[in-house]
Amino acid sequence: MIALFRQHAQALRSAFAKLFAQPLVSAVSISVMAIALALPLLFTVLVKSAFTATARLDTEPHVNVFLALDAGPEDVKRIEAAIRGNAAVASVRFISREEALKELRANSHLAGVIDSLEKNPLPHAFTVRPGPGSMEATEALRAALAALPKVDSATGDQEWARKLARAAGVADRVAMAVALILGLAVLFITANTIRLQVLTQREEIEVAQLIGATVAFVRRPFLYFGLAQAIFAAVLAIALCAGAVAWINGEVRALTSSYTSDLQLIFPTTSFLLGFVGLAALLGLCGAAASVRLQLRRFAGRPR
Amino acid sequence: MIQFSAVTKRYPGGYEALRAVTTQVDKGEMVAVTGHSGAGKSTLLKLAAGLERASSGNVIVSGQNLGALGETALAVLRRSIGFVFQDHKLLFDRNAFDNVALPLNIAGAPRGDTGRRVRAALDKVGLLAREKAMPVSLSGGEQQRLCIARAIVNRPAILVADEPTGNLDAGYASQIMDLFVQFNQVGTTVLLSSHDEASLEKVRCRRLELSAGHVVA
Repeated sequence: MIALFRQHAQALRSAFAKLFAQPLVSAVSISVMAIALALPLLFTVLVKSAFTATARLDTEPHVNVFLALDAGPEDVKRIEAAIRGNAAVASVRFISREEALKELRANSHLAGVIDSLEKNPLPHAFTVRPGPGSMEATEALRAALAALPKVDSATGDQEWARKLARAAGVADRVAMAVALILGLAVLFITANTIRLQVLTQREEIEVAQLIGATVAFVRRPFLYFGLAQAIFAAVLAIALCAGAVAWINGEVRALTSSYTSDLQLIFPTTSFLLGFVGLAALLGLCGAAASVRLQLRRFAGRPR
Repeated sequence: MIQFSAVTKRYPGGYEALRAVTTQVDKGEMVAVTGHSGAGKSTLLKLAAGLERASSGNVIVSGQNLGALGETALAVLRRSIGFVFQDHKLLFDRNAFDNVALPLNIAGAPRGDTGRRVRAALDKVGLLAREKAMPVSLSGGEQQRLCIARAIVNRPAILVADEPTGNLDAGYASQIMDLFVQFNQVGTTVLLSSHDEASLEKVRCRRLELSAGHVVA
């Protein structure tokens, strides 16, 4: 058991020695892998940020019914009864003109302007959620509500938000596909690096096997090499992605501040990043294992 | 210690290097395998060291039937057998110390122990002063002694040497044979092949003569 532990420690030392023996070659390999890993990570950041932004939007179909400014409490009761009586309506929420003004003051930079007004310019309103149905049914409901007495207007313009949510869903799929393709790239880069390492050390491997090295002993340093390379690449990819997000967010903030929005790219959580490093390590390990296995099999098939 | 029972070794292409060989080497014995080129000497030694597998028959080393062992078990068994290769098989990008340390690293020996045992092995073959030398800077005789140091560093019970004096002049050859005699005197079973009659005449050991894959004497 202790001997096995020593062999692992020795394999780890050997892997790092190989990694630092040719620093330029190792740096290039790690950089290429880091770029391959950084692209899906950055894409994931963009998609997750888009999801977060669209989650704040009300993407469920609804109709906003704005009453005439002179509509009184009796009109409100009558219109509410008419809305609730419509079979196509699932739920109704009343927003009084006072409540609407309060919300506007809180969510905009217009508090000074609002305070200077002599009277509330906003109407009473209803937010109506239709039951399950087509866009046409929602449009028919909107037209019916707009025709009620003392109703100034009825609007239903949420279709863009639904489309945005769908687009985010598509982008999520694209991110997964890109991650899969670039993940394979990491696998092949590792496998090729290990293949070259094994070929370079063919003589050493053959001598070691002649004097008692098992296949596991020969394979171990290469596995650690692939693992270390992938972990370094993943850490570098995270650093690249963090830099890119910080750089893009500077511009996003400048753009969205004029729209009173706090929209920005959201960097993944620590647990997500640990998972990302783990996945990269697994890819490195698998690439190394497949490559060394293939090469050792080829050696075994050739005369010494 | 080493038993061959009706062992045949057939290489791809059908060439039979050994044909139904039955013989044995006892514990603590020193045996020299002789015969002309192509008689099957190297094949017999490789089979005894577990470097190759018999096509038929049984090779039993230290009570273990090598044909029944898996690859990993066979590799582990090879650690207990010191093998001196005809072509040395030294690593030319490593110094003398690291070459000799290789079997200990494979066995997972402690680092401190490795240093002590490598120096003891190098001292035994007279190369202690050259532990940092690269193999390319060593003479043919020194390279052969380095190969012997690597073979004995694990203190093997069996030492197998394939033409250990093959490319050496008479003086070096005699030194190398003396080393094998010394190892045998401390209880190591020695099995070596040679067609160097002059070196063998100075050594008291049993002869095993092969001809065309058969034991003839």
